[in-house]
Amino acid sequence: MSSNKFSPSLDGLFKQNIVLMSGLVTAPVIVAATSGERALVLVLSFFLMSYTSILLCRFIPRKIVYTVRTMLYATVAAVMFIPTVLLLEMWFPETTKSVIVYIELLTVNSLLLAKTESRFYLLPYGQMAVDALIYILGYAVAAFAVGIIRGLLAYGTLFGMRCFDPLMPAAKSPFFGFLLVGILAALCRAVSGKRVRAKAMADASSDIRREGTQ
Amino acid sequence: MTLSTVLARIVTLAMTSIFLQNAIFDRAFGANVAIYASRKESHVTGFTLGITAMTTVASAVTYFIDKPLLKTEHGYYFLPLIYVGVIGILYVAGLIVLWKYFHSTYKRVRKYAHLAIFNCAVIGALFIDSNYGSDLPGYIGYGFGSGIGFFLACFLINIAHERLDSNKIPRIFRGYPIMLIYIGIISLALNVLTGYTSDF
Repeated sequence: MSSNKFSPSLDGLFKQNIVLMSGLVTAPVIVAATSGERALVLVLSFFLMSYTSILLCRFIPRKIVYTVRTMLYATVAAVMFIPTVLLLEMWFPETTKSVIVYIELLTVNSLLLAKTESRFYLLPYGQMAVDALIYILGYAVAAFAVGIIRGLLAYGTLFGMRCFDPLMPAAKSPFFGFLLVGILAALCRAVSGKRVRAKAMADASSDIRREGTQ
Repeated sequence: MTLSTVLARIVTLAMTSIFLQNAIFDRAFGANVAIYASRKESHVTGFTLGITAMTTVASAVTYFIDKPLLKTEHGYYFLPLIYVGVIGILYVAGLIVLWKYFHSTYKRVRKYAHLAIFNCAVIGALFIDSNYGSDLPGYIGYGFGSGIGFFLACFLINIAHERLDSNKIPRIFRGYPIMLIYIGIISLALNVLTGYTSDF
């Protein structure tokens, strides 16, 4: 009997991470994630704008031509920008002001404009909601990794707490962001490649065992 | 303002946004689109034409909207909504013109036209305009320069693409990771060359 139990795919966390593996949403992390607090603001804004937009845009009929659908997705995200920024300005006034351009850019992010069509909207609603959340968690993992590393190197601080003297002030520059995300992307590939190989070996050995018992 | 002053201002701000504040190398606006577009030479041309046309025309249009809107205290909350509207209208108008007068081109580009228009490079250029543009020539200069800066980035990525994707590169770095490191090195070189550091 086939089981209807839903098991969420964790692809969005590492294997298809939108920053480190597919590079769908890179600009905010590469340029603006220069400290833990900035990374937190970027993650919250991405969650509030993209997740709600993905959930809402699901109700846009697929009969509408793709060109117009894309515009509607971006319009919904632009509307969501207003409450998102109002909230973030209340919680983190200074940090929000300094990264606002990268929050504004999220209105046309590829998770909303491309991934919805190729993946999310092909799934049932509940499954889609969990899947999109996992992709956003993947973004959070990458943003915090980059923000914390750069914050420690450039300012010697971790979420505002002083840990040591700044080791490398240039770590807050965009070029360092490119280099760091590139290196983290390679590490992510190495780890997910190992997991894939280990899974393939486990599958192969279980196949051999199954053949042996028959 | 005389014509020569206007032209000088357009050229100066265009040069600034090509070299000093390059959309890709300095702000990573549309870095993912640049990496995608740089895979094929025809894509480099197509994307550059689409992005440059859109950033230039949309910049000129948004100047007249920004001027009254940014004077109000909370006007910036509505910028993304207005910019998406402007880009959307110009996008549809562009598609209609292509469909009516250049039908074969329309057939070729319709599959990826939305990628060239709805991306961070285009909307990012409009946000930068609203911060630095100040007057109409400034807006046009920044908008045009953003598109040409995108071309410069795509061209530099395109010429290195084959080597960066070759067997000589360790497997885990091949493709996307080494491309980011390559862009980072060019970004570093431009930073050193100009002595300019963005305030992000």
